[in-house]
Amino acid sequence: MNMNPAAPTAIGPQIVMLFAALMLVLQLLLVVQKMLLTNIRLFALQSLMLTVIAAVIAWYYNATHVYIVAVLTLIGKVIFLPWLLNRIVRRIRIVEEIEPLLNAPTSMLICGGLTLLGYIVARPFTTLEKLGNNTLAIAIALLLTGFFLMINRRKAISQVLALLTIENGVMLAAVALTTYGMPLVVELGIFFDVMVAVMVLGILVYRIRESFASMDTSKLSQLKG
Amino acid sequence: MNPNPIAILLQTALLLLLAPLITGCIRSWKARLQNRRGPRIGQPYFDLRKFLRKDMVISEHASWVFSAAPYVVFITALLVGLMVPMVTTQAPLSLFGGILAVVGLLALGRFFLALGGLDPGSAFGGMGSSREMTIAAIAEPALMLAIFTVAITVGSTDLSHMVAAAQQPGWNLFNPTHLMAFAALFIVLLAETGRVPIDNPATHLELTMIHEAMLLEYSGRYLALMEWGASIKQLVLMAILANIFLPVGLATDGSAAMLGLGLAVFLGKILLLSAAVVLVETVNAKLRLFRVPDLLSAAFVLAAMALLSTFLFK
Amino acid sequence: MVLLTPILLIPLATALLCLLVRSQRVMGWLNPLAFAATLALGIRLLHEVLARNVVTEGNEFFYADALSAWMVLLISTVSLGSTLYAGRYFRRDLAAGTVTAGRVKEFFVLTPLFAAGMFLVVLVNNLGVMWFALEATALSSVLLVALYNRKTSLEAAWKYVMLGSLGLALALFGTVFTYAAAINQNGPGHLPSFNWSHFMAVAGQLDQRMIKLAFVFVLVGYGTKAGLAPMHTWLPDAHSEAPSPTSAMLSGVSLKVAIYALLRFHILTTQCLGTGYSRTLLLGFGLFSMFLAAPFILVQSNLKRMLAYSSLEHIGLICTGIGLNTPVTIFGALLHMGYHALTKPVLFFAAGNIHQTFHTMKLRVIGPGVVKVLPVTVLFMGLAAAAAAGLPPFGLFYSELTVLSGGFAAGRTFISFLILTALVAAFCGILKQLTRILPGTPKVVRANDAAVWDNVPAMGLLVGGLLVFSAWIPLPLLQLLHQAAEIIGGKP
Repeated sequence: MNMNPAAPTAIGPQIVMLFAALMLVLQLLLVVQKMLLTNIRLFALQSLMLTVIAAVIAWYYNATHVYIVAVLTLIGKVIFLPWLLNRIVRRIRIVEEIEPLLNAPTSMLICGGLTLLGYIVARPFTTLEKLGNNTLAIAIALLLTGFFLMINRRKAISQVLALLTIENGVMLAAVALTTYGMPLVVELGIFFDVMVAVMVLGILVYRIRESFASMDTSKLSQLKG
Repeated sequence: MNPNPIAILLQTALLLLLAPLITGCIRSWKARLQNRRGPRIGQPYFDLRKFLRKDMVISEHASWVFSAAPYVVFITALLVGLMVPMVTTQAPLSLFGGILAVVGLLALGRFFLALGGLDPGSAFGGMGSSREMTIAAIAEPALMLAIFTVAITVGSTDLSHMVAAAQQPGWNLFNPTHLMAFAALFIVLLAETGRVPIDNPATHLELTMIHEAMLLEYSGRYLALMEWGASIKQLVLMAILANIFLPVGLATDGSAAMLGLGLAVFLGKILLLSAAVVLVETVNAKLRLFRVPDLLSAAFVLAAMALLSTFLFK
Repeated sequence: MVLLTPILLIPLATALLCLLVRSQRVMGWLNPLAFAATLALGIRLLHEVLARNVVTEGNEFFYADALSAWMVLLISTVSLGSTLYAGRYFRRDLAAGTVTAGRVKEFFVLTPLFAAGMFLVVLVNNLGVMWFALEATALSSVLLVALYNRKTSLEAAWKYVMLGSLGLALALFGTVFTYAAAINQNGPGHLPSFNWSHFMAVAGQLDQRMIKLAFVFVLVGYGTKAGLAPMHTWLPDAHSEAPSPTSAMLSGVSLKVAIYALLRFHILTTQCLGTGYSRTLLLGFGLFSMFLAAPFILVQSNLKRMLAYSSLEHIGLICTGIGLNTPVTIFGALLHMGYHALTKPVLFFAAGNIHQTFHTMKLRVIGPGVVKVLPVTVLFMGLAAAAAAGLPPFGLFYSELTVLSGGFAAGRTFISFLILTALVAAFCGILKQLTRILPGTPKVVRANDAAVWDNVPAMGLLVGGLLVFSAWIPLPLLQLLHQAAEIIGGKP
């Protein structure tokens, strides 16, 4: 019995697949890691992977506008956003997550299951012979595990991080799935959106902290019905 | 495959002689990193010689299990070592099922180790055995899944075939599947050899020891066999990690030049892995016991994902 | 003449001006003026679209067909009413000390930004930029919801921004997948344009499985922003905690703008697949929303939350009408959009007046007999409530009837019965709640602070418009609606 993996032998797709898988592994680490500052660093690392993927795609397919995407991701998600989030965390002076809803082993198993689900959803699309067949699975897996992260965590900053990892998943899909990237105007729009969104979220988080003296979002439960 | 007696002898000698050296290297480098002078690299050899010479003191409550355990541990470790390709692409021995035999023998060794801890009836021994079994419960599936991943990719459970397949062109070194399996196996390596962050090999405090607890009652010749067996197991697991995931420089025939080259490359890879282990040990603190399943389940999920991706990456 | 760009630039310029201006009065007049101007431009656009079918500008970057023109009219009207109301409303709040001058300025700067975002959504051709515009509206409205900075406001704003961003992230996935469905057709190095008009033209060549997957993501994503159940949980909180003019804009028009975005994808999906895939999904979500809203209206204890659930009901009806996909039901749904946009803001304005007089939103505390305290407000509220409940002679009755009759005529009897049941339940709910507070004698005699004639212009404008248009729809408007219905339902 001979089972051959149809691994493309070109170096570009290989590197892209590798880094995409690393993004997923980092996402899993985010799920179990409890120190907020480390989580921010993990997110920065994940965005760095995304930058490398974008750069490789730009180089391999001669799609020069994707270089701009890579640079923007580097400046925005690897440098600026982590700095901003760090500032918020330090201002609020809460550095560790409280016990999440599910403990670490259970979380890991659920994330494994969600990854499997992502792969299953992406299966019918693997016949599209492009760079993107496996990154679609990983993008959906990032989305699902990001959801889980949002539900499992109670601190507001962790939920913001979860949202940002979902955005990373979308960017992965946008850059890798669509082979030559999306039109520049769209990428720019998405980029600036994410920046502004995090700033708005930062303002809100600060106001919540001032008002509730805590970032525990389970305390935000007055409005019901 | 007809076992070649010379190859078996040579590999046995390699295992016996190299294993304490690796232990010594790790201990010495760890000390250096921690700004101490530390023991000399050859210290384990002297320790083994010392133990072999000394008298044994055996608890009056111990049974034949206590006496048998060191031998079982030592021999299973050796057997497993003979099944792993180290210097050449063809391992000297190939028992039923390749990988399955490896896992089974390792499990047998661990089983008897735990029994040996329980047998004399001391409190520390029993405690160490139960902790060891807890860790094994999660570490073993991770080990199996990670190795099966490679087996599925290659299409055979024979370690020699795996190594041979890996040397062909078209083999994707950067395959994320293999990287995930490697990461999982590395964590399992730490678990099986009782290294920080799972177990501290240098402690004798009740709160913190696992492997040492099971060895506490042993002395003299039995202790020598136990320690040696543990070192050999460590070397073997490192060899699996090194040769399956980075199978470069393995000798394909029996010529002296190739063997020499193979040995040198093998030594290099093992020392590199040892350095990685030392780094991990120094940088991390030992995990509290109920946190260890967290780490091991991470390894398990990584291995599971690696296995899944072999099916779904097609 | 250049139409579309000014419609966008006017609110943006207003926001900038309000940032620089200090005087409250000036800000309070600048905003309504701007929206009156966009309304005029919108009417002009209506005529242009009737004449030329489609108006494009900026090398097809901006694209306005009948559907867009209809939305422009709605957005302008509701924004006009809200900003007219807001001036006096915030003056009272400032006097009472519930807001600071800085926050009022924030309102007058963010609201035109909010409206500009909505205009961009309906006027732009590029699907990716459409997403960006929706996100812009979401972000500007978040700070508006949190304006009062109470604990409950912050909670509502947090839920709103989290769920909204999540929904938009999903919608972005869907958008990316839609784009990915088109790239097979082109050689390396050539990026297809992401314009909706272009996609409609090549719809037959798009990858069908990808489009299906994309539509599901877009439905859940934009559906969250539109408040479709079960993704609606942010809606009652956000709409009740925001200041009343913002609630009016949120309920009155921003939900519909999200539906518009959804509709663009629905049209594309139907064109590509040729089956009832997308409209079945829309129908399902619409019905579910209607049925979910009805019991909550009945048991509600907070006035503005009840109004928010009523919005949920109406949005459900609009989606159901579109999901039934006959020309009659689609026409009814579009008509319903318009009438609802005229009605719901009035209810929120009245609620705002009540809140400022009674300092609470709890129906139990407001108690019976509001009519004695705020007679003019109650007059308008009563009219609007009757309209919202679906009573004749108001337009909402006619649009609901249109959808129902279209459903029965098309043979979808069971679904039409379901719609009828939900409508009746909502009708009972609204009437029950409002008869609890409006008529009767007040238990506690309150001093009549000179607030009786407050905000009559704003409410009067909208109610007047409602009455007028209920009786008579001008011919161009009818033609526009028919054109828009055709766009959604495909050429019959």
